[in-house]
Amino acid sequence: MLAYSLKRLLQLVVSTFGVVTLVFFTLRLIPGDAAAALAGDTITGEALERLREQMGLNKPILAQYLTYLWDLVTLRFGETITTGLPISGLLSQAFPITLSIALATITLSLIIAVPLGAMAAFMAHKGRKTLDNLITTAAMLADLMPSFWTGLVFLLFFSLMLGLFPASGMVSFDDPVTFLKRIALPVMVLSVTQIATMARITRTAVLEVLSEDYIRTARSLGWSEVRVLFRHALKNAALPIVTIVGLSFGSLLNGTVIVEFIFTIPGLGSLLVNGINSRDYQLVQTLIVFYALFFVSVNLVTDLIYKQIDPRVQL
Amino acid sequence: MSKTLLATIKTPGFHFPTISLPGKSLLNINKKMRIALLILVPILLLTAFSSWLPLPGPLQTNLRAIMQWPSLAHPFGTDRMGRDVLSRTLSGVQVSLLVGFSVALISTCFGIVLGTVAGFFGKFIDRAIMSVVDIFLAFPSLLLAIGLVSVVGTGLWPVIVAITLADVPRFIRLQRSLVLSLRSRAYIDAARTVKASQWWIMRRHIVPNTIAPLLVTASIAAAHAILVEASLSFLGLGIMPPAPSLGNIIRDGQTYLEQAWWISTMPGLVILLIALSLHFLSDGIREALDPRARK
Repeated sequence: MLAYSLKRLLQLVVSTFGVVTLVFFTLRLIPGDAAAALAGDTITGEALERLREQMGLNKPILAQYLTYLWDLVTLRFGETITTGLPISGLLSQAFPITLSIALATITLSLIIAVPLGAMAAFMAHKGRKTLDNLITTAAMLADLMPSFWTGLVFLLFFSLMLGLFPASGMVSFDDPVTFLKRIALPVMVLSVTQIATMARITRTAVLEVLSEDYIRTARSLGWSEVRVLFRHALKNAALPIVTIVGLSFGSLLNGTVIVEFIFTIPGLGSLLVNGINSRDYQLVQTLIVFYALFFVSVNLVTDLIYKQIDPRVQL
Repeated sequence: MSKTLLATIKTPGFHFPTISLPGKSLLNINKKMRIALLILVPILLLTAFSSWLPLPGPLQTNLRAIMQWPSLAHPFGTDRMGRDVLSRTLSGVQVSLLVGFSVALISTCFGIVLGTVAGFFGKFIDRAIMSVVDIFLAFPSLLLAIGLVSVVGTGLWPVIVAITLADVPRFIRLQRSLVLSLRSRAYIDAARTVKASQWWIMRRHIVPNTIAPLLVTASIAAAHAILVEASLSFLGLGIMPPAPSLGNIIRDGQTYLEQAWWISTMPGLVILLIALSLHFLSDGIREALDPRARK
């Protein structure tokens, strides 16, 4: 286990290095450098040259690359080009918000999807297919609905028509109730897709386990159907469920960008969209690297949990 | 975990069906394909002949008919400048279909070439190609497309380039795994023993056998590309107004959600229909080509 964790950690470092390298050199392909982007039309000639020198853009590209790497390793992300705010400060404000949305979505989806999927499998096993068919169809539809569209429909219905949740306003951890109300709609929107995927996987996994010998044994011991389903069947179906949580994390991250934009939540996604709109490459490149690192780390954790849950898994 | 279970776990839209050559079987239109065509053909026809419909042009404003409810004259209503939403939507569908089709086609071509090279030659070339692929796969797909848009810029063709670049790595990986599984087949060994050239084996035995699973994947990739383009345009990073795209029409309607819900919701329904039909198409193709997938 330890050897495996170390090996995966090394892989993580290598792929992060790859990501950083790719991002650095790709952004250098943009016509006109960061200094020109910052200066706009106002600064030209000698002043522009001085700005370049200040930003280290007149050094050879390899030197710039090494400086950039060293800055990343020592966690010096620098300042945004447009506003001059320290990027690390922006990240430490935005990341907890996005993380809470992601974690809340995963929790809510698991709470709803796992029992739902298990029930569907149980019904299907007994030959009653209605709930099963319903879930399969709903899952497919929910999977294909563009999240920005679901977002707007939810905004229209729950916020503008029913007035249940605020559509805008401050997002701050100081006031937990307001915070939860504020992230409720985004979490619901993201959960639609997640629940669809998770319920479908749970259903398939449980259905497969239900025909195993040990389930028949459990039944023959006279235990109730509910206990057999939730204690025995579901436990053995946990592996694919963990896998799908890990696999769908990418689409969850994609979704956070969209919902943060719709509900004006100052998370990583809003930061990224604003960064691109204001051509703030320093900010954009840091964010992209940060997202990739986040995503890859989650995959790593999923793999480790996987091994922890099921000792049979050979890694 | 059993094989069937592994197959149902969703690796975004990518399945690994083992399939024989696409031949006659593709012509047997099954139920799922029929559903797909039933949705897709009317949309295609409406889009193709949109200029013959009794609708104002997609860019034609009419300040006397601002934010009107859906009616016979304007089936999807009108927007804040009195433009006909149906007309704009159809024009947006053209963009979506162009993006979906181009991305699927270009990604498949690149996937075939690079994936075959990586899988067939192995060793150094394989490692080089796959390490770049792995780096790309370290990003969630929409985020990768957003990042690439910041480099290539906005507009129709840059967006197609960005989405394609974000999609190609998955095609390469699929093609490589298909080639790897084919490479050890007996008939390839047979071809080797009669001193067939590598190029000939690749062209004659390997690539044709990978077309079918690629076709299944390509139709899902088209649906995916349409959704990504719409998302980009919605975020204001894709196709820029006044040129209509489904994403930017929906973005446009967001401000007037309370007064004119139809501006945003109608184009969204159309996206859903297109994505749904492409999924049915992909499922249908898979069933047609792989008898074991039939229930």
